[in-house]
Formats: sequence, C-alpha cells, structure tokens
Amino acid sequence: MLAKLKTSVKNSAWPLGMTFLLLAAWEAAVRLMHIRSIVLPPPSEVVEVMVSRYDLLLDHLWPSLYLTILGFALSVVGGIIVAVLITYSEIVRKGFYPMIVVSQVIPKVSIAPLFIVWFGTGTMSSLLLAFLIAFFPMTINAAMGFQSVDEDIDKMARTFMGSRWQIFWKIRLPNALPYIFGGMKISITLAIIGVIVSEFVASQQGIGYLIKLAGGLLDTALMLGAITILSIAGLMLYGLISVAEKRAVYWQAPIDALETKL
Amino acid sequence: MASRRAVSERDRTPAAKVALRLAEVRKVFGTLEAIKNISVEVADGEFISLLGPSGCGKSTLLMMITGLTQPTSGELVLAGSPISGPRNDVGVVFQSPVLLPWRTVIDNVLFPIELLRLPRAQYLDRAMELLKMTKLEDFAGALPRQLSGGMRQRASICRALIHDPSTLLMDEPFSALDAITRDDMAVELLRIWQANRKTVIFVTHSIREAAFLSDRVLVMGRRPATIIDEVRIDLPRPRQIGMTEEEGFNKYVRHLRKSIEASHVS
Repeated sequence: MLAKLKTSVKNSAWPLGMTFLLLAAWEAAVRLMHIRSIVLPPPSEVVEVMVSRYDLLLDHLWPSLYLTILGFALSVVGGIIVAVLITYSEIVRKGFYPMIVVSQVIPKVSIAPLFIVWFGTGTMSSLLLAFLIAFFPMTINAAMGFQSVDEDIDKMARTFMGSRWQIFWKIRLPNALPYIFGGMKISITLAIIGVIVSEFVASQQGIGYLIKLAGGLLDTALMLGAITILSIAGLMLYGLISVAEKRAVYWQAPIDALETKL
Repeated sequence: MASRRAVSERDRTPAAKVALRLAEVRKVFGTLEAIKNISVEVADGEFISLLGPSGCGKSTLLMMITGLTQPTSGELVLAGSPISGPRNDVGVVFQSPVLLPWRTVIDNVLFPIELLRLPRAQYLDRAMELLKMTKLEDFAGALPRQLSGGMRQRASICRALIHDPSTLLMDEPFSALDAITRDDMAVELLRIWQANRKTVIFVTHSIREAAFLSDRVLVMGRRPATIIDEVRIDLPRPRQIGMTEEEGFNKYVRHLRKSIEASHVS
C-alpha cells in the first residue's frame, strides 16, 4: 500500500512539476511583458475569477455535466445493444456495420445546427449530439470485443455442450469488457465535446454557453476559468471510468496507452 | 501398485469392451478429400495415439469424435451410441490450454460443470482433488496468467476430467511446451490415466511421445488421411521416462519412423 502510494507520487511528480513550471512561466511572461488581461490574463487572475465567481461557474457546469453523463450512459447502453446485434445478426453485420464505420468519417459536430432545426434549442439537442458522438466508438469497440473471442475458447465451450446463451454470458461478455472500457474512455470525452458544441450553437445555459458569453464580453479570465473547470470535470469523469475499469478488468492491464496515473 | 497392475492387465485382454468405434469414416471439404475410409476400434480404457505429420487430418478426425464436425460418410459410435454432437461423456484437451483469463484456476476447472448445468458444490471436492493430483492445489485461486505454460496445460487437463468423462480426447496438448516440461507432462499424464482409467485418444506428431504413452499407435498418412500402420506398444506399465533410453523402446520408435517416412514417399 505504502509502496504503491510512493510510486504513484513518484510518477505524478514529473508532470505536476512541469505543469507548475509552465504556469509560473506564464505568470512571469504576462507580468514582465505587460500583456493585457483581455488577451491573456495570468493564471493568478484566472484562479481569482474561479474563486470569486464559483457559483456562476457551478451553475453552468451542472447542466453540462448532467447532459454529458446522460448522453454518455445512453451511448454505452445503445452501443452495447447494437454491438450484440452486429455480433449475432448477419443482416446488421453485413448491412449496417460498414455504414456505421463509414459514418465515422462525418465530422459529427457539423450536424449540430441540423439538430437545432430538428429538436430546437433546448437540452434535447445537446443530449442527442452527445449521444451521437459518443455512440460510434462505443459500438465499434464493444462489437470488436464480442467478436474477438479466441476460436479455440469457443470450440472448447462447445465441446462441453455450452449453449449460445452461455457462450455469450460466460465468454463473449467478459471478453468484451476491456474493449468496452476502452470505448467508454473515448466516449466520455466525446460526450463532453458534443454537449459543449451544442451549447455554443444554441443554448441559454451550460459551460459552452458561458464560454461563448464571456467571449462576447471580452472577459478572458472567465473564459479560461470556465475551460479550466470543464477540464477538471472531464478529468474526473475519465478517472472514475479508469478506476471502474481496474476493478472490472482485474485480469489484465488497460488496453489504451492514454492511461494516466491518477 | 497392485491396482495399477490390474489396470494394465485388463487393457490387454482382447475381449475388452469396445469404447469407440469408427466405421469407414470419410471427410470431404469441398473437392478435397481430407479423410478417407478410416475404421478403428478402441477398447475401453485403452490409450491410443494418432500419429502423423502436421496437416494430415488427425485433428479433423479428433474433432469428429468431439462431435463438433460431422463426417461426410461413415459412422462414429461412442459407448454404444452414435456421435451426433458434443456430449457429456467426453473431455477435450486442446493444443493451447484455452483457459478463461478472468477466471481463477479452480473456476476454470469447474467451467464444464457450469456449462453442463451440474451442481457446482458437488464437484468442488473433485476439482480440488484433480488440482492436487496435478500439483496445482496451491494455485486454485490464481489467475491463469500467473501460471507457467505447463501448469496451464495441467489445469486444462483437470478441466477435461472434472465431469468424469469416459473418454479423454487430446489434440497435441504438449506441442507448445518446451522439451523438458513436455517429458514431465507425459509422465504426469500416464499417472493421471492410471488413476482414472479413461479411454484416451491422443493426437501427436511426436514419435517418441506416441510410443511412450500409448497402448497402440495408429500412424496416419497424408492426404487423404488413412491409417497406414498400427503398432501395439508392448512395454510394461507404469512407464518411466528412463525407458526412452532403452533398446526395447527405440525399436518401436524406429518402426514408427519408418512407417511415417514410407507415407511421405508414396
């Protein structure tokens, strides 16, 4: 336990130290070069704004966070269901799977205005955009997980009279878990993007709205404060998934290299 | 000691009950005839090896005995009933251990019990016994990745035996192991076999392994596969690895090698 803590402190010492150094350099540069606060406020001013206007920031953070989590949850459930269909239905696999893969190329953000036309400027548009963006990587990852079962493992289960149902629950699903968590890590980040973009386009609340509003008022410090608090929230969501992954996928190391020492 | 002798004598009686019968089994993949007209009878409790070069169709034959593939024509009868699909009186060991990485060793061993919908609690003792027999009892709660290659394959042998099948089918189970582990595993397998009295069909491309383990070796030729030679190994049991140095053993090895070489020429 103590050794574990020691290595985690050791591992985070470098990036933390570097971050501190960069912030100090930023602070010094702004002060020494007399850069105007509208262009680039020093970190100290950003922190000050975050402290003095925390209620405003939190008021706008909650709706964004709520929609992000809801859109993400929908994409996970929907993605896994579609992945099961891809695995077991030849029609879905041969007809829709290529379509889903190709549609990955479409920059989903560009659909945001279309959603506004269809679903109005309310939360529905934000939710759907978050869901849509997060859905694809989730589906593709889960489908890969369900289908990447070792041929011999499948054979082994069938020689012991395993039914399709048993093979799904006892083999395909656990086999897909690492892939599903890999997909979730991508999806959570994308869900945040979906919500923020839709709030840029049309919304009266949310961090995306606040960033746009502060931009209009040339309140750069508030903008940076909003971006910072959004990043912290995003990092925490990602961290939660990582922690869940370590518990659920106890038998192997995480698949993606993005794994940060949180 | 006395009981071991009893087993080996029982095996040699010609009147032993037939456990497995293959009658004119043939398998065609498209236009390729993989297996041609194989007829064999295996006695109850007999240890049989199918020996042949890689890709000669011996694994295909074994897969037909598991019931996963059906013959194009001919008949396979196990314990008096035709093989029409996977069944619960057969245990299979594959070339790789194919353990489920998320299950502990004991849960892997009990996996067939779950699939066969048998009460797990009743087989727990047997699972521990099997693990003890294969010297894995200290690793019951370990994950497969914590085991060496030989230990994993031993666990997979326990899994194949957990539901007490009458027949054990083994598809080149030791071919992925290093030479030293391989010899150990052969000795170990014979020990397990003598304690459990299963009928064993053992597929291998190792001449020494086939001669060391078997009561009878069936040599298979290539494309289409047929049985080109049948050699009864009359060496005393229990067999020790030191036997492989002796002339009596090497006589069989030479004979088997000649048979295989002959199949290459023709």
